[in-house]
Amino acid sequence: MGRIQLEKVSKSFGDVEVIPPLDLTIEDGEFAVFVGPSGCGKSTLLRLIAGLEDTTSGKVLIDDADVTQVSPSKRGLSMVFQTYALYPHMTVRKNIAFPMRMAGLSEDEQEKRIMAAAESLNLTDYLDRKPGQLSGGQRQRVAIGRAIVRDPKAFLFDEPLSNLDAALRVGMRIEITEMHARMKTTMIYVTHDQVEAMTMADKIVVLQAGVIEQVGSPLELYSAPKNLFVAGFIGSPKMNFIEGDEASKHNAKTVGIRPEHIDVVESGGAWTGTVGVAEHLGSDTFFHVHDTGLAETLTVRALGNVALNHGDTISLSPRVNEMHRFDDQGLRIA
Amino acid sequence: MSDRRLPRLLQSPAVILLLIWMLIPLGMTLYFSFIRYVLNSLRRPEWTKPALSNWRGFGNYEFVLENKDFLLAIQNSLFIVCSILFLTVILGVLIAVLINKAFPGRGIVRVLLISPFFVMPAVNAVLWINMILDPVLGLQGLAVAGINDLISSLQNAPVVGWFFSLWPQFEPISFRATQTSAIAVIMMVTWQWTPFAVLIFMTSLQSEDQQQKEAAILDGAGAWSQFRFLTLPHLARPIAIVVMIQAIFHLSLYAEIEIVSRGNGNKNLPYLIGEFANNNIGAASATGIFAVILANIVAIFLLRMIGKTLME
Amino acid sequence: MAIVAQSSKYGRVSRATLAWVVGLLFFFPIFWMVLTSFKTDADAVKPEYLLFFQPTLENYLNMTENYDYWRFARNSVITAVFATIFALAVGIPCAYAMAFNPSRATKDVLMWMLSTKMLPAAAVLYPMTFLTKSMGLFDTHFLIIVVLMLINLPIVIWMLFTYFKEIPKEIIEAGQMDGVNTWGEIREILIPLAWGGIASTALLCFIFCWNEAYWTVRLTTTEAATLSKLIEGNRAPEGLFFGRLSAVSTAAVGPIVVLGWFCQKQLVQGLTFGAVK
Repeated sequence: MGRIQLEKVSKSFGDVEVIPPLDLTIEDGEFAVFVGPSGCGKSTLLRLIAGLEDTTSGKVLIDDADVTQVSPSKRGLSMVFQTYALYPHMTVRKNIAFPMRMAGLSEDEQEKRIMAAAESLNLTDYLDRKPGQLSGGQRQRVAIGRAIVRDPKAFLFDEPLSNLDAALRVGMRIEITEMHARMKTTMIYVTHDQVEAMTMADKIVVLQAGVIEQVGSPLELYSAPKNLFVAGFIGSPKMNFIEGDEASKHNAKTVGIRPEHIDVVESGGAWTGTVGVAEHLGSDTFFHVHDTGLAETLTVRALGNVALNHGDTISLSPRVNEMHRFDDQGLRIA
Repeated sequence: MSDRRLPRLLQSPAVILLLIWMLIPLGMTLYFSFIRYVLNSLRRPEWTKPALSNWRGFGNYEFVLENKDFLLAIQNSLFIVCSILFLTVILGVLIAVLINKAFPGRGIVRVLLISPFFVMPAVNAVLWINMILDPVLGLQGLAVAGINDLISSLQNAPVVGWFFSLWPQFEPISFRATQTSAIAVIMMVTWQWTPFAVLIFMTSLQSEDQQQKEAAILDGAGAWSQFRFLTLPHLARPIAIVVMIQAIFHLSLYAEIEIVSRGNGNKNLPYLIGEFANNNIGAASATGIFAVILANIVAIFLLRMIGKTLME
Repeated sequence: MAIVAQSSKYGRVSRATLAWVVGLLFFFPIFWMVLTSFKTDADAVKPEYLLFFQPTLENYLNMTENYDYWRFARNSVITAVFATIFALAVGIPCAYAMAFNPSRATKDVLMWMLSTKMLPAAAVLYPMTFLTKSMGLFDTHFLIIVVLMLINLPIVIWMLFTYFKEIPKEIIEAGQMDGVNTWGEIREILIPLAWGGIASTALLCFIFCWNEAYWTVRLTTTEAATLSKLIEGNRAPEGLFFGRLSAVSTAAVGPIVVLGWFCQKQLVQGLTFGAVK
């Protein structure tokens, strides 16, 4: 079991309130991702759940038990740190064994779990090395191994992949997702990378300045962002925002349309502009279009290769039913 | 959180111990400085016990201020400490730069250089004042005697004798005398602490940005310019540290002065206090409070200067 | 490479020579002391035996008889060892708490601790003598151990704090997540990780204790008197006994100088309070 609830939890550092009171529930077995720009309080929120930070007010509940006053070591959670935080003076084996040793597990049980974890994480050959002799990816696996063997109620990941290079990051992302599918343990994962959030999460929590902007499944966030911030944060490339007359036409202060919802047409599209930069990726082509009279730049995604280059005139046809409308407050108009 | 408070509680033994260590004796000193309190007095036996009835107000302070040794002791304290700081920093920088680049036997030279730092002050003082600086039997005495012998034998030599007969006989310097004993103390402490400065500066020089230096060479900077505009600024922080740590140790310099001169004229504040404390505890305490004030002025100045850099 | 090319061979040779001269010059007083310790008292002051003489071990063999060396040495060892142990026992938890659970006051507390080190010992000499005599602690090992511990505690805490701060906070937090309590953190994680730093702190503390020459002289008479007291007490032979005085001095500083040679690098790093890398 691992159902985590935050009730009116807030956190201040001195006079600065980094997290205003918020409520949040993460169901047992869920993969929840906290996402937001750096400094939005997502890591602090995770550390509050872990118990590494004291709450200023409010309650943290794990499986309906109030753990607000419980020390991190007794909450039954595991955490994987951004810097891995392996014990440099211990071998991989001892690192993984450490939480079990602290919990007083028998040697046999420890060995059994170490071997199982090492096998699933491809660490069997490295058990007697020290962390200093491992690559970044291997260290990350050790950190995960150390988290797994405790059999925790929930895993907490604090930007675990941000120190890895791009290729490794994709691989580890898939591994963690598979691990979750296999173990079905609650996981809370903090990242600033919306791609990680979209690909891994059951539930995404978008944060900004300590405030939860929206909670929902990846597709909910994609198709029905609650406000301009979420709309702009989720999706890559970013959603285009258009104000002024074009927005008024749709009875909104701002309308947003994703690059993939603007079609490039031969001629006669509703909008025309000049191609600034054209990024030909083969599978897709991204156009950064100027001089549309709508916004500084419109980003447009066309499938396949479209033979338009810098300086060419482009005709665009937006899919009006895919447009998102926002009011003066930046809130979504249903 | 109980588990969180424990770590903070862990500080308390050290803090409490140091508080007691600081406050109780200091409080007593403060109390004694305001009463008449002497160890022996046939005339006024009631003064030999500390009691409030012997209250003297600022009398002890006035007595100390009027004592001619007091001003001398403060001057001497500052003279000794400042001279040592000045010499160790200058010598330290020069030697550190000298041995910064690799040369044959650098490791051994380092070991030779650092050795004086580990010599206990008492031995340092005994060694210097007797075996090295003694005007008759120390190396100084022997050297001066040797030179004088040489000169007088040359005076009797043919042809050049007239030339050397114009030479004076050299007089060895007695470093136990009033004026010179402070010099002896400065010499021996500089000898002991220059190695410390050298090691700290060397450690710092090793971390100097070599690319920056190469860039400077490409920009046409000569050796002096490199030293002046790159090395010296780089050493600012270590110099501050050397000054601070040495100030901590030298403000309470005692053994060397005690051994060199037994205070004959060359007293610093700690020594003067010790002298008063042979009988007049009230005056010793008042002097102590002055010393504390002086130390605090220096401490505030130094800690302000250095505190910030140390914490980051 | 540009730098190497710049300095001529002549420059390099003269530089190395100068460095050696400076090194030998600084070592000379120690060399002279050791040399003199092998001369008889009579030979030690004769110019004709300055460098070439009949070496003798007599001064060392008579050290016990002349100075009761071993009693003082024993006191030095006992007081320095226990003062160091206690300073670490109090200092490690304190520095741990400051490094990993800092509060707003931490910086001020550290500065205050250092400032206690600047208080002139002489100012409180008489109250200390008075107190310790009235408590019956004067001239006891216990007193000297406590005093040595206290005067070195600020430096010990500073050095440890510097070393501990180099340990990433996440590692301690990982320990908390892995279920260790505070003592476990210190024992299982902190001490093994900062072992080098703790060792060099201990060494420096030991050296400072060994060399201390104010309280050890002023608060002892015979029972707990250390080597500093011994040397100080025989300070002024005015040319008599140079040989035997050199021998006992050599014996007093020898162990520490050798110890210092082996750990010079670590010692410096600690002494800079981490402000010089």
